[in-house]
Amino acid sequence: MYKLSNRFWFSFHGWCALPIWVLFCFICLTGTIAVVSHEITWLVNPNARASNPDNLPAKTPAELIAVVEKAYPGAEVAQVMVMDAYLINAVIFSDHDKPMAIAYVNQYSGKIQEVNAGLTFVGFMRTLHGWLLFPWQHGYSIGYYLVSAMSLVLLGSLISGLMIYKQFWKAFSAPRIRTKQGKKTLLADLHRLAGVWSIWFILIISLTGFWYLIQGITYHMGIEMEPHAPTISGQLLPTTEPSAFPVSLQQALHLAKQRYPNFNPSYIGLPEHNRDNYHLYGSGGEIFFDDYSYQVAVNPWQGQIMQASSPTDMNTLQTITHIVDPLHYGTFGGLWSKLVWFVFGSLLTGMSITGFIIWSQRLVRAKATTAETSWKKVEEHC
Amino acid sequence: MARLNANFWNRNKFKLSGLVLLLPVYFLYRSLHPSFPAAMAAATVGEFSVIPTPLDDAQPYQHDGEYIKDFMVTFKQGDLAHIRQGYMNIGTTALPLSQMQQGELGILHGSRYGQHVHALASDHIDDGARLWLTLETWQGKILVTSWPLPTEWLAH
Repeated sequence: MYKLSNRFWFSFHGWCALPIWVLFCFICLTGTIAVVSHEITWLVNPNARASNPDNLPAKTPAELIAVVEKAYPGAEVAQVMVMDAYLINAVIFSDHDKPMAIAYVNQYSGKIQEVNAGLTFVGFMRTLHGWLLFPWQHGYSIGYYLVSAMSLVLLGSLISGLMIYKQFWKAFSAPRIRTKQGKKTLLADLHRLAGVWSIWFILIISLTGFWYLIQGITYHMGIEMEPHAPTISGQLLPTTEPSAFPVSLQQALHLAKQRYPNFNPSYIGLPEHNRDNYHLYGSGGEIFFDDYSYQVAVNPWQGQIMQASSPTDMNTLQTITHIVDPLHYGTFGGLWSKLVWFVFGSLLTGMSITGFIIWSQRLVRAKATTAETSWKKVEEHC
Repeated sequence: MARLNANFWNRNKFKLSGLVLLLPVYFLYRSLHPSFPAAMAAATVGEFSVIPTPLDDAQPYQHDGEYIKDFMVTFKQGDLAHIRQGYMNIGTTALPLSQMQQGELGILHGSRYGQHVHALASDHIDDGARLWLTLETWQGKILVTSWPLPTEWLAH
């Protein structure tokens, strides 16, 4: 069997990330910050905290909408987002003076703690990491392709790194960091050690990133992996003007709970027009499935379930779609797994920096060696 | 990877990808200061006064097997609650309601402060095409109006 030389793998390792080193490092860094963006918001903005000193039960999304509509009589609520228990619920609405605003509602006290009409830190970091803020144009963003294609670079770096570092498993049992043999040795040891201990993480991030690339291409091509709920037939709409939908959101949530007793709502989309449904998304307790793995669409006029799906009736592609996010974001185990992802994300960012410094130092040494050789040749000729 | 000729280019070429990072700054500015093509003239139909604004000047694009073009639609007069359903299409005539309500695109949606619509179209806009709005009231009354299209959209 043809065996590739160490020289080839070394060169390949360099070519994987070096030409786009700065961009690669930036994407690693923004991803690392994005993982804990909710927690950073929690730390710096008290209004984003769902403190519950009186141990009150959480109000339902329908109750939170009522809170916002009472405070802002002109409000038209479009969505509700339910996040981790220590974060407020977000009620997204528009008003005569607000094209789009997010009410930070404490789900325990029912108090509106802030109304944010601009960009949130969470949204900014995720957008920056996901597609570098490049605009979306009818189904695709060049930035999204740029970022998701980095998964190939990451996978290439991992494979070539392991081919160079032949006995990498020794870094598990006998980790070596030589601090007294110069900066280059120290950096190389740190780079190799972090790489070996991050094998599992790099694999997860690169494979899930590659899936995002596939997802982006299929979305761009107009291929939908999941069926969406059918809109209500125009002929079935009532013939007299109603004052409100006969089926309330609370009733729709009740229907979802009847269908899936373990349904825990995370995102609620209210009907955008009279033929639209209540779109209820949530989780059901499966550790590796995302917060959108349970989907129920409820007809607001007659109350029937127009479409429902859960992990048990997903095909392979749909299952992958719903387990990729928790693995990429590290959200499957709550705060602690996010912190693990943050630490290894920092290591990956650091590896891109140490990798570049090692390369620069080789360049300086190569230059010095060349200069020395040339000087010797001059001396010999004299 | 080390180059013996460590000139400026060889020393810095791997940092050039960092220049791409200037683009997010520009795109952030653009997203905070969005600009759209000019709004169309207000048209009155029934109790409603309506102003459509195209989101771009591009030709229609394909989505879910249909060609569509996106507009923001502002109702300056009239109560949106009085509308049972409303659609937009681009063509030489207004598509019949019976046809438009079979599909999921082309319907007006959003809040009373700003409606959004993926107007049904063909792959390119023909000469003589207009933007058509079809509204149905709860009593079954059909209201239709239309706008001429910018000349730069035509004759492609």
